[in-house]
Amino acid sequence: MTAAIQAENLGKWFRMRGLAPQTLFGRIGTLLRGRKNERFWALQGLTFEVRKGCTLGIIGPNGAGKSSLLGLIAGTITPSEGWVRAQGRISSLLELGAGFHPDLSGRENIYLNASILGIPREDIRKRFDRIVDFSGLREFIDMPVRHYSSGMYVRLGFAVAVEMDPDILLIDEVLAVGDVEFQHRCLDRMKRFQRAGKTILFVSHALQTVEEFCDEAMLIHHGRMISRGDPADTIIEYLHRCGGEGGPVRTHEYGSRQVEFTEVRLLDEGGTESTRFTTGKSMIVEIHFHAHQPVVRPVFGFSIKSGNGIPIFGSNTQIEGRTIERISGEGVIRLVIDPLLLMEGHYFLSLSIHSEDHKIQYHRREDWYPFAVHNPLGGLGMVHLHCRWELPPAQPSHPAGR
Amino acid sequence: MSENAQNTTLLSELRAVGSRGNMLWNLVLRDLKGRYKGSLLGFLWSILTPLFMALIYLFFLRVVAGRGVPMEEIIIGVFAWQFTVQCVNGGMVSVSSSASLVKKVYFPRSLLPLSVTLGALINYLLSLIVQFPLIAILSHGLPFTISRLLLLPLVIILHTGFNFALALILSSSNVYFRDTPHLVGLLLSAWFFLSPVMYNLEFLSRFAASLPWLMKCYMLNPLAVIITAYRFCILRPVDFPLSAWSLAGGLLIFLLLISGFAIFVRAQRHFADYL
Repeated sequence: MTAAIQAENLGKWFRMRGLAPQTLFGRIGTLLRGRKNERFWALQGLTFEVRKGCTLGIIGPNGAGKSSLLGLIAGTITPSEGWVRAQGRISSLLELGAGFHPDLSGRENIYLNASILGIPREDIRKRFDRIVDFSGLREFIDMPVRHYSSGMYVRLGFAVAVEMDPDILLIDEVLAVGDVEFQHRCLDRMKRFQRAGKTILFVSHALQTVEEFCDEAMLIHHGRMISRGDPADTIIEYLHRCGGEGGPVRTHEYGSRQVEFTEVRLLDEGGTESTRFTTGKSMIVEIHFHAHQPVVRPVFGFSIKSGNGIPIFGSNTQIEGRTIERISGEGVIRLVIDPLLLMEGHYFLSLSIHSEDHKIQYHRREDWYPFAVHNPLGGLGMVHLHCRWELPPAQPSHPAGR
Repeated sequence: MSENAQNTTLLSELRAVGSRGNMLWNLVLRDLKGRYKGSLLGFLWSILTPLFMALIYLFFLRVVAGRGVPMEEIIIGVFAWQFTVQCVNGGMVSVSSSASLVKKVYFPRSLLPLSVTLGALINYLLSLIVQFPLIAILSHGLPFTISRLLLLPLVIILHTGFNFALALILSSSNVYFRDTPHLVGLLLSAWFFLSPVMYNLEFLSRFAASLPWLMKCYMLNPLAVIITAYRFCILRPVDFPLSAWSLAGGLLIFLLLISGFAIFVRAQRHFADYL
């Protein structure tokens, strides 16, 4: 079996308040209080396997049970039902310098933290310089960590955790604290982990990073596993399910509502409704609207942003020179993007209807429609540019190297 | 198969602790360095506090009340008491103050109270360096007998085991009941007077004569046994009241240690839930 982590019917509940009666002290506590507690299932019925060498992203809104899951795998939390098994040495990326003693120097804390993670003393000594170099804190290494900034804490903590050379690395949304340069260094380091065939579990709200970095993603919502699979699809599922309430993006709509979107359907090249599209194929947006009163010369617009919020393209009927003289009542307008030249990833579609002079927004939905794009063509980046190579004239007499 | 909190047994916990000597040592160092860093007098405090207690005693009991026991015995009593108090207070918060660590990483949890106990032990051993000359000066000569002194390490081991048992029980209790520190504070002050810290067994002789059965119960207090044993080891004039009751008091330490460990191992499964 090459499963690094296996779980079956894994569940964990907490009492809404007070103590759990299955413990000795809990029983005394319940006796003392003399009242019963409601159960709150932080996680329920999780059955899954993570194959060795896989990088699994775990996404979901706050309070979905992501951190509990990591705790169960790391063995710090005991399951209420079911079981989970992990093969090999586990290293958790600690919270902001958990286990650091503020009065001790960085050097002393490295030894302390490494020994907590189970690195033998000789190994720490051997790796000490690498840890310090990676953290980039050499000049501060003998200063008490009390005076470190939060970013410096994380650098040091990350440096120790990755030097432990674990088989399974658990990362719980900590990298956000470091600066850009350090984040790159961490991702780089994690890629080296991936190449070395290590298993990584990555909890993050940085969906773009999950998408780029993970082989698979798992969506957890209200303590249950909703879906698992390709990162882009799972992210879209997440955005659809939790886009509004406490979700990862700030979708919003506004406008005078003289004209309103009633139904919007995203259709793929086969004409079926989908959130999954293919680079080079077509994408059709079918916009049903209702004009409560006649409107003269309305403008329909759209824009597409990448998963991390960078605008990629936007246009409207005015720019395209398609004047609509007058609308009233129900109507349908179709936006055809063919070919869709976006690369692998997840994106947000915004739609708007506004007046000709842009002064009145009738209805605008910002980042309202998430969708995923799969790219079978290969290549790098966000958009596919039409390109061709013009080769030098063939020189058949020479045995050309490839 | 990785280690974790869920299927820990007494034996597996002990084995795991044994394999983490390096971590234990680093935790002890953290405790010791953390305690004295930034304080002006540092380690001196663990000498000054018991000495000051002894002085207070000297003033109130000897000068004001006009009766008392030899100063050497008090010195031994207060230092031994100090050792236990350090383990009780430090051990009690050992798990709860490492909450973020306990939630994130698995390691044998009993290392936390154990490191506090060992840190206090090191303190205590260092304080012996001060105690011995002080006792020699107070008793105008060397009161030691080699054969008795040889028993001293045994008493120290017994005392450490007792303190560790307390640290184990209190550290797990403190995770579940936030009332623990208040309760412990109360019990400590009662226990201070119920143990022969500021007095000795002779001091109780009148009471022992009138209520002999209560005196027997008194010897069930492990600290009464331990402190008297210390005095017996170090001071020639002191006798140890070897009886079924004092032996039971000593045996109680082993019982406490085993049950303390069992409680801790059971309680630690849900530490992360309550921290």
